[in-house]
Amino acid sequence: MRHVAEDLAQRLSFVRRRFPVAVNLGAHHGLVSRRLRGLGTIDLFIDVERAGRLLAQCDGPRVLGDEEWLPFRTGSLDLVVSGLTLQFVNDLPGTLMQIRRALRPDGLMLAAMLGGRTLHELREALTEAEIELEGGASPRVAPMADVRDLGGLLQRADFALPVADADTLTVTYDTPFALMRDLRSMGAANALNERRRTPLRRGTLLRAVEIYAQRHGAANGRITATFEIITLTGWAPHASQQKALAPGSARTRLADALGAAGQQTGENAEPPQLHKPVEPPVSKG
Amino acid sequence: MPNNDDAVEKPNSERADPRVLEILVCPVTKTTLEYDEKAQELISRAARLAYPIRNGVPHMLPSEARSLDENKA
Repeated sequence: MRHVAEDLAQRLSFVRRRFPVAVNLGAHHGLVSRRLRGLGTIDLFIDVERAGRLLAQCDGPRVLGDEEWLPFRTGSLDLVVSGLTLQFVNDLPGTLMQIRRALRPDGLMLAAMLGGRTLHELREALTEAEIELEGGASPRVAPMADVRDLGGLLQRADFALPVADADTLTVTYDTPFALMRDLRSMGAANALNERRRTPLRRGTLLRAVEIYAQRHGAANGRITATFEIITLTGWAPHASQQKALAPGSARTRLADALGAAGQQTGENAEPPQLHKPVEPPVSKG
Repeated sequence: MPNNDDAVEKPNSERADPRVLEILVCPVTKTTLEYDEKAQELISRAARLAYPIRNGVPHMLPSEARSLDENKA
């Protein structure tokens, strides 16, 4: 979490701009907000969190709310940030759309979330142990989105200049048990609805721990766990932003820009000398 | 004001930030809310729901809102 707060702060510090009204979606206990307030570029920074117990630890203006039911007026926000919350959302396309709508034109969204490679070691170990000992597998680690899909979702939600980039963090733990305890304390124990309702059997768990330690043990006897952090950046569309020109609307030739000797291109081009001209396909009948 | 009652901590004494109230809308219908200062509620006529404000914190969850229709019955 601290890593994410630092990263978001750095990204935001590159944006030379003041943000009169900003919202932190899924503020947890306020770590990210405290860090970003320190930048001094945000005038009103509202913490939004679903869990009252966490929200109480935030120190700015607070709103108890759900990312999937955004309570903000259309075009009222200059900045929306989110630190490790959006991976728990059921309807991510809908949530992104709501965020984009709440942003003022040229407003910025900056959201870090966990990506699909997160905890792949734990997922593998649990699945294999369950298949081995119980003859079937149940999802124990929630599925998470892939960086390419997320870029597509940003576009679908009509964000301008969308970017989704991934960063992999490797954390070491004493044992797989320590990792699971840590996840539980984050409130990140299995949140899936379609999971097998019975808790993990002791034997299966022990086998999973064994598999985990075998494959992902570090030299010092500790185990490693991967967290993939995907950062989504997108702007609410605005006329001042750069846009791609329509194809064919260029007014200077690439060849001129490159200083190449004049060679006809496009429609006026002579057929290439090295190949036989290709006959255009003629449809019969 | 000579009366200094406000200094005593009342359970619901904290007031919500007016700048925040200004940009809040009903999370269900995205329509404007009426602020009932006495009851400390934000009322959505469109959704027939009243969202409570507790200790200055608006609770904007549809599941926590009070239905206006129940009240009338």
